[in-house]
Amino acid sequence: MAHAYTPGLKVTSRMTYKVIRMLPIKGEVNVKVGDTVEADKIVAATYMPGDVYPLNMANLLAVPPKDVASLMLHKEGEKIEEGEPLAQTAGIFGKFKKIYKSPYSGTVETISDVTGQVILRGPDIPVEVRAYISGKVIDVAPEVGCTVENDAAFIQGIFGIGGETFGNIKIAVDTADQTLTAADLSEDMRGCVVVGGARMTVEAIEAARKFGVAAIVSGGMDDQDLRDFLGYDLGVAITGSEKKGITVVVTEGFGDISMASRTFELFKAFEGHEASVNGATQIRAGVMRPEIIIPLDAGSTDAEPEHSGGFLELGKPLRIIRDPYFGMIGTVKALPSDPHVLGSGSKARVLEVELNTGEAVIVPRANVELIEV
Amino acid sequence: MTIDLENINVILATDCGSTTTKAILIEKVDGTYRQTYRGEAPTTVEKPFANVTIGVTNSVTEVGELASRQLTNEDGTIKQPAKDGDGCDLYISTSSAGGGLQMMVAGVIAEMTAASAKRAALGAGAIVMDVISSNDKRRPHEQIQRIRELRPDMILISGGTDGGTTEKVVQLAELIAPAKPQPRFGSEYEMPIIYAGNKDASDEVQKSLEEDWIDLAVVENLRPKLEQENLGPARDKIHDVFLEHVMAHAPGYNMLMDWTDADIMPTPGAVGDILQTIAKKDGINVVGVDIGGATTDVFSVFDETFNRTVSANLGMSYSISNVCAEATMPNVLRWVHFDMDERQLRNRVKNKMIRPTTIPQSLESLIFEQAVAREALRLAYKQHKEFATTLKGVQQQRTVGDTFSQQSSGNTIVDNMKLNLLVASGGVLSHAPSMNQTAMMLVDAFEPEGCTNLAKDSIFMMPHLGVLSAVHPEAASQVFERDCLIYLGTCIAAKGAGRIGKPCFTWSLTGDVTASGTSNFGDLDLIAMGPEQTGTITCEPAKGFDLGAGNGKKVTHEVRGGTVGLIIDGRGRPLGLPTDRQECQQTISQWVENMKLYEEMEQAVCTA
Amino acid sequence: MKTHTIPMLAIATMLSMVSSAFAFGAAPAPPSNVVAVDAPDDAGEAIILSWALSPNDIFGTLESDTQATDPDLVVSVYYIERRTDSAAGNGSISEEDQGWQQISESAAGEVTTTDRKVQRGWSYSYRVCAVDIQKETSSWAATEEPVRPIMQPFNMSKAWLAIFMLMFGGLIAYFINVARSGKKLWVRPIAGLAAIDEAVGRATEMGRPVLFVTGIQDINEIQTLAGLTVLSRVAKTAAEYGAQIEVPTCRSLVMAAARETVESAYLAAGRPDSYQPDRIHYLTDEQFAFVAGVTGYMVREEPAACIYMGGFYAESLILAETGNHIGAIQVAGTAMPSQLPFFVAACDYTLIGEEFFAASAYLSDDPLQIGSLKGQDYGKFISVLILVIGICFATFASMSGSDENVWGASKNFIKDNMLGSAGLLPTGSGDTDIEGDDS
Repeated sequence: MAHAYTPGLKVTSRMTYKVIRMLPIKGEVNVKVGDTVEADKIVAATYMPGDVYPLNMANLLAVPPKDVASLMLHKEGEKIEEGEPLAQTAGIFGKFKKIYKSPYSGTVETISDVTGQVILRGPDIPVEVRAYISGKVIDVAPEVGCTVENDAAFIQGIFGIGGETFGNIKIAVDTADQTLTAADLSEDMRGCVVVGGARMTVEAIEAARKFGVAAIVSGGMDDQDLRDFLGYDLGVAITGSEKKGITVVVTEGFGDISMASRTFELFKAFEGHEASVNGATQIRAGVMRPEIIIPLDAGSTDAEPEHSGGFLELGKPLRIIRDPYFGMIGTVKALPSDPHVLGSGSKARVLEVELNTGEAVIVPRANVELIEV
Repeated sequence: MTIDLENINVILATDCGSTTTKAILIEKVDGTYRQTYRGEAPTTVEKPFANVTIGVTNSVTEVGELASRQLTNEDGTIKQPAKDGDGCDLYISTSSAGGGLQMMVAGVIAEMTAASAKRAALGAGAIVMDVISSNDKRRPHEQIQRIRELRPDMILISGGTDGGTTEKVVQLAELIAPAKPQPRFGSEYEMPIIYAGNKDASDEVQKSLEEDWIDLAVVENLRPKLEQENLGPARDKIHDVFLEHVMAHAPGYNMLMDWTDADIMPTPGAVGDILQTIAKKDGINVVGVDIGGATTDVFSVFDETFNRTVSANLGMSYSISNVCAEATMPNVLRWVHFDMDERQLRNRVKNKMIRPTTIPQSLESLIFEQAVAREALRLAYKQHKEFATTLKGVQQQRTVGDTFSQQSSGNTIVDNMKLNLLVASGGVLSHAPSMNQTAMMLVDAFEPEGCTNLAKDSIFMMPHLGVLSAVHPEAASQVFERDCLIYLGTCIAAKGAGRIGKPCFTWSLTGDVTASGTSNFGDLDLIAMGPEQTGTITCEPAKGFDLGAGNGKKVTHEVRGGTVGLIIDGRGRPLGLPTDRQECQQTISQWVENMKLYEEMEQAVCTA
Repeated sequence: MKTHTIPMLAIATMLSMVSSAFAFGAAPAPPSNVVAVDAPDDAGEAIILSWALSPNDIFGTLESDTQATDPDLVVSVYYIERRTDSAAGNGSISEEDQGWQQISESAAGEVTTTDRKVQRGWSYSYRVCAVDIQKETSSWAATEEPVRPIMQPFNMSKAWLAIFMLMFGGLIAYFINVARSGKKLWVRPIAGLAAIDEAVGRATEMGRPVLFVTGIQDINEIQTLAGLTVLSRVAKTAAEYGAQIEVPTCRSLVMAAARETVESAYLAAGRPDSYQPDRIHYLTDEQFAFVAGVTGYMVREEPAACIYMGGFYAESLILAETGNHIGAIQVAGTAMPSQLPFFVAACDYTLIGEEFFAASAYLSDDPLQIGSLKGQDYGKFISVLILVIGICFATFASMSGSDENVWGASKNFIKDNMLGSAGLLPTGSGDTDIEGDDS
């Protein structure tokens, strides 16, 4: 291989962003191709089958399972309200009948004559899918969902907590290397996407949550703060389903690390614009990173040219993503092709990096990430 | 499919992992099969390629280039048979791409039929997402909720002995039907459900699972009697269904299935097969471990009984944070012989989790990673021991002599004293800069007792050989012996506890290397013994220590050397470390020095 | 004439015997050294009176053997009289009591009596006389000083009992506290109890019932109660697993108790709907009729698990052998030593004696029960330790052939003081000690 391929996180001021909005099961799509939608528009909706409540009717009525079906007052498929009689025993000479009232509302789904089990299905649960970004519907899959497209500035984070949300961008700090503290947040940030600089403290996140901030984005955070915020030690980086009332996105990594200046500048340029944020992260095969999408007005600027991808070349800017130089920014100075013995004793292919401070260091190719300036 | 084993000279095998596809070439050299070349390429299951064969062709092409042998045709297919120095006679493959085979199993009692079902699924190479049973303390609606959340590729239902409970098994089926789990491959996918329970209940089960989205297969009961486990039919069926349904829905696999001469196997299933083959052939007990980024697989064969466990969240990159959380930081740090800042370490661990591909650059971070690996392996082995047990629910035969020594059934069959061979594979173990580190991680985490050979899988060839062993057992075992395993050496360890510095056992070694000495409790020594050297060691343990013959009894073992040598471990079992941090660091420093763990590196770095 | 000779004869006899220490006349000699003391370690409700035997008492000293006593003068009984000297508080002494009143008699040979009809704080004087078989009384021998019964706050003779009580109670309290603080107390795993889940699981898998027999004793027997505790656990497991439980009983009251136990277990498991009271039924009080009924059931229904917990007699082997024959997992528990070998041989798991009683603590996981189990174990350990030490001392003492050395003294200390009622410290200096304690 001529070049080491190191995928960096995408940060671009303009690209065509497509998002596919799908229902988990078949339902109704409310939009048609060509429609313009806002981020909070419900584009598709359906009903999920409700919760299931099994009732062991044979035991409840003290009858053999095979008799259950004949004693049911509601047959399969019939609706029943809570407290309505569901089944009744034959009694003796028509007297002493035992009546069992339904503990739930729903539909009688099945009646088993082997186990005497009756399954009640609760009312359907509505499922709604919103557009997530404002834009144009370019494709509709009948009964399943649609695709929304728009030109957008796009920023990928490294790690996030919480699901989809949107709000207007609000910069809370002056520089990209400033720590985001509780003092930087205020009441008027309700519903906004608040952007910080370097590390954000747990107090800042709690304050943001108190003020009703939609999402909070910053360069880094401490593991301890994450633990305090979540209330447990996160074991595996699969997130997105947390119900914390706020979406948190870290753009660079853990620790006190400044947000990349390019990312910060991009946020600054779009302050006040509406942005859609998703904190869902899944670091597994089929990696998912948190993202911030800022839909743009059509044709205001030209699309940024596709970056040449992530090939290491001399002079390219990069960031080191592993101790002992974690978080440092520099450029590729040399790309020796022979494996090099590292301080740890392992042999690996390396590159020489000229740090911003002017110092030159040797790091394994696996430990750098290309950035765009 | 009939294959003429006599005329097979060139074998090509690939393993499509979730990130890389590895190809190896096996050729007949002077009448024996040897692994000659290997190559790898990124796996291409996901977009933009979405066709696994591209990665296969790439890796095979690389092997072909190295071997100066054309292995692929113009259109990328495998060239068969071998002719004029090109092509190959046999092509086989395994796959764990796309997260492998994910299954949900259900049984009546968690420790009985459900445990057997789990064993069948794990043995077939699946990842078991959850086990539903009628005594798992969950209410039925909670179980249904759980089934709905999971997205299994396949469901295995067992329960009841033949002629046993019908009601409970049908109840399980009745839970699954309304839950309607969503498969990963979209709503068009027919959910394969295998029923391997009470044969008297199969009609009822079929009736309750009559849905258009279910593809039900009924096989023999995997627990016909509580005293008997019959996993074969269920395992085979899982394998068939894996090919028919799961593989068929993965991009490009239809094509790959046409190329291969034997069925594609899930990678872990193939590893299990080769270990079983070897254990049976040599009459030994084997434990194998594969520690990956996200999961750790442990395989064991004790007295010809095979067990496999997957510890889903114990791994060195994606799951590293979980290892630290589960093992707790102090437990990880006890293996580190210098002070480290805990807050900084926690951030480092999380950074490794979110950027899993990075490698340790400094010695300090290498030592820390190896400490994490020890804990991950220890926890995975513990889970394995808890799972690999004798059958539960079996009637016991007693005599009056048992009055005060009543043993319960369901004890673990994993016995470190009976263990003969411990095989390591997976990045942190096989890519450790020094083999001594690999050996030490194995000894510290698995705590082998008595006499145990340590080996590592050179280039993770076991999956390939597993499939090969089904087609051509002779070739598989020849390559396994000669090329697959790198022997690290032998560990001699005494079971028992004593006071630091008091004699643990005396030993004398004869053969290619002659040496003798006394190992005191707490000592750890390394005797140089090369890969080709063998010898006989006679050990005389002190009272309270056991080296295989019983408490304080003299014992003789055959030992073989390796790249590391002979490890004389007088630290006792179970292995205890001082609780005082300072004292612990001193102890570990001593061991590190005796085992020459990090010496070479420091020198190498100095000269580099 | 005769009337004259008698005094003369008497004088002659008197003279002939003048050197003798014996009775002057036809009356026996009086007892001597009469001492009355307050009874120690009581509430001031008794006075112990002691005296030295009259020389004419044939149960008395050796001298009476060597010097033949006049048969007419042999003491047959002692009369004891009491006079109340002063009262305490508001009490007043009755007219009669102000003089000497006979309160009791003691047979010849006795040297002590206890007067329990005294008032605390009052003072009394006593006198004793010997009476021969001719009903002739000797002169009175009286106490020198009046004695006053007093209440002692502590009964020092039970001092060691108190120490042991405190020690065992303390241990139990300590371990309960430890258990409550969340620390896991190690209790030796009892295979038989761990096997209950397995046995019920087997029954569930095989779709067969679980048979539980609580023995043939009535509800007032501790073994039956212990059996019911285990039944509660078995029923809870059965409820959770969805297995059927069958409990035939030999006593009607046990049936009622078993129904209650099983019902609450089903309730606790959250499956009250699965509880079937009819499956817990009374068969008969007759031992072998009961066994015939149970074994008949076993052969017909082939339960997959049979659990016997309670008091068993000759039926133990019949039940266990039948169970073995039908291939059931069997767990037994009894404190009947003679039945244990049968259960051990025929059952899969057997709880032996103490284990059976410890089962309830073991099963409950309740810190109170686990803690007290642990505390009791330590108590038992201490008891056994003292026993062993005592055996050693006794052995050494008998080997040395004397009780006068340190071994003998230690043995006697353990025997009399720690395990007996001789007070806190050895009796060698005991008198003073006890008196010291009195004050």
